[in-house]
Amino acid sequence: MHYIKNLRQYGIFIVFSIICLIISFISPQFLTVSNWTIIITQVSINALLAFGVTFVIITGGIDLSLGSIVAVAGVSAAMLAHPDSYPVLVPVFAGLLAGLLIGAFNGFIITKSKIAPFIVTLGTMTIGRGLALILSNGRPVSNLSEPFVFIGSGKIMNIPVLIVILVLMFILCSIILNKTILGRYIYAVGGNEQAARASGINVTQVKMAVYSISGLLAGLAGILLTSRITTGQPNAGAGFELDAIAAVVIGGTSTTGGKGTIAGTLIGVLLIGVINNSLDLLNVTSYYQQVVMGIIIIGAVVLDSLNQKSNS
Amino acid sequence: MKYTHLILIGLLLFITGCNQSESNKNNAPDKIVIGISMLSMQNEFIVNISDEMQKKAEELGAELIIVDAERSPLKQIEQVESFIAQKVDVIILNPCEYEASSPAVTKALAANIPIVNVNSATKVQPTAFVGSNDVESGRIAMKFIAEKLGSKGNIVMIQGLNGQAAQIQREQGAKEIMAEFPGLNMFAQQTAEWDRAKSMDLMQNWIQSYGTKINAVFAHNDEMGLGAVKALQDAGMKDKVIVVSIDAITDALQAVKKGDLDATVFQDARKQGAGAIETAVKIARGQKFDREVLIPFKLLVKEDVDSYLK
Repeated sequence: MHYIKNLRQYGIFIVFSIICLIISFISPQFLTVSNWTIIITQVSINALLAFGVTFVIITGGIDLSLGSIVAVAGVSAAMLAHPDSYPVLVPVFAGLLAGLLIGAFNGFIITKSKIAPFIVTLGTMTIGRGLALILSNGRPVSNLSEPFVFIGSGKIMNIPVLIVILVLMFILCSIILNKTILGRYIYAVGGNEQAARASGINVTQVKMAVYSISGLLAGLAGILLTSRITTGQPNAGAGFELDAIAAVVIGGTSTTGGKGTIAGTLIGVLLIGVINNSLDLLNVTSYYQQVVMGIIIIGAVVLDSLNQKSNS
Repeated sequence: MKYTHLILIGLLLFITGCNQSESNKNNAPDKIVIGISMLSMQNEFIVNISDEMQKKAEELGAELIIVDAERSPLKQIEQVESFIAQKVDVIILNPCEYEASSPAVTKALAANIPIVNVNSATKVQPTAFVGSNDVESGRIAMKFIAEKLGSKGNIVMIQGLNGQAAQIQREQGAKEIMAEFPGLNMFAQQTAEWDRAKSMDLMQNWIQSYGTKINAVFAHNDEMGLGAVKALQDAGMKDKVIVVSIDAITDALQAVKKGDLDATVFQDARKQGAGAIETAVKIARGQKFDREVLIPFKLLVKEDVDSYLK
């Protein structure tokens, strides 16, 4: 119970449940195991990006380079994942490393230059896209090995690997944020940076850490996407950062920093996924889909903020 | 602050200097200079057209200045303006949009610089057009589906970015053929924005709602066709559903060869690129040229693909 009281996204969880309930009345296919397996696989990539950027947003920052990191990591991994070239760990490691390096670069520039994270990551977003195009010559990198493709479409004990990875990352990120010193420092830096510094927290290190985590998870997302669509696409991931940030905000993380949870972000990610899925199930045309999605994003956040006001 | 000003002035001088040297080069006698604005160099098909242009230009001794409009019609107009300022001999335009890229054509014509549209059309008539009629590609794809299904069955259509010429025309062609076969039924149509991952998600969701009632899928490009194939394979339904898409990119040819994709409609990037340069050079040399060079589409099934795979 104590745990639930700490969930600031209590309101959003109710909104999410109500929406699911309504959809399940309209569309009989909605509440089936097979449909939910699909929804969760479809949101897994956005979920990893959203988990990563949750850390960044709690410190009061932002990361716009996520989509480009997905492309760089995906292309790098794909180039090393051709059959009979390297064991599958090599492309996976390369993708993660690419993500980590770009994330650490973000953190380094942001902490050393004091330039706003918005600007720095906007820059790396463009640099990353360019790198992905350079690496791949502007063409998709295909012909990937069986073990590499297994990551995106295989199953372990009848559960898709993507879902297994999603659950593991959810647990890992929740632990980092709730149970470690780093987690406490992240909230402290986002709540009040001056105070955090005064109390002896190494703010530079904390920021380096959050951008590196965000980059690393985006790298992982790039590997999963590449494996899922069996090709490394230099233009993959464009606009993914916005979906991820939307999910984080829907999930109750404050864009001014200091507040937010991984569980809330997961609800935000699922809400977006459920809406996309159900509008397709009901064959709503894409014009209306975009309008509906926008209304739900704003509506969810408004409801949540009303809920928080009445609580305090 | 003083220094920043100095640096800025220095930079400005440097940039103007660069421009001058470039325009000097362009004034060199008898080498034809062609300014080319491409839709997007992040698209494999467009990159292929551009590669063929370069090969053909080397062969014919023309100099190319190729720039990437990054899907922005505004950027494209600015690029054409800069070509006009550089006084290139001919401009080749690979339009971003039917309406919004039209001012680029108007401006070039007003400056008396011939302009050739390649791959897709603009509302304003250019000096010449080299490309294919996208309505035809939609017809070819849907005719194949009609034949395979014995003129009756349920079809879903995965569309390109709504509002783009290729999407509108491919849909139009498909619907023309459907009108001839009343037994064909359009179950659902939705955009996946030319994107493989989005198409895969969409197809998974459709499989949830319609399941085995779907008999055929028409995707407006190969990327989306391959996404649909992947979703159908994961659901174990691929052998019961026909999938056709357009462009004949390498991945799609490989998939047709393996039997994963049933057919792709080949749009000839090589002929479009080479044809555009040939036409541009003819215009620059004052030779006779065709105002419209239409490169036909071709349906490729398993037996055909080997010769197209390099």
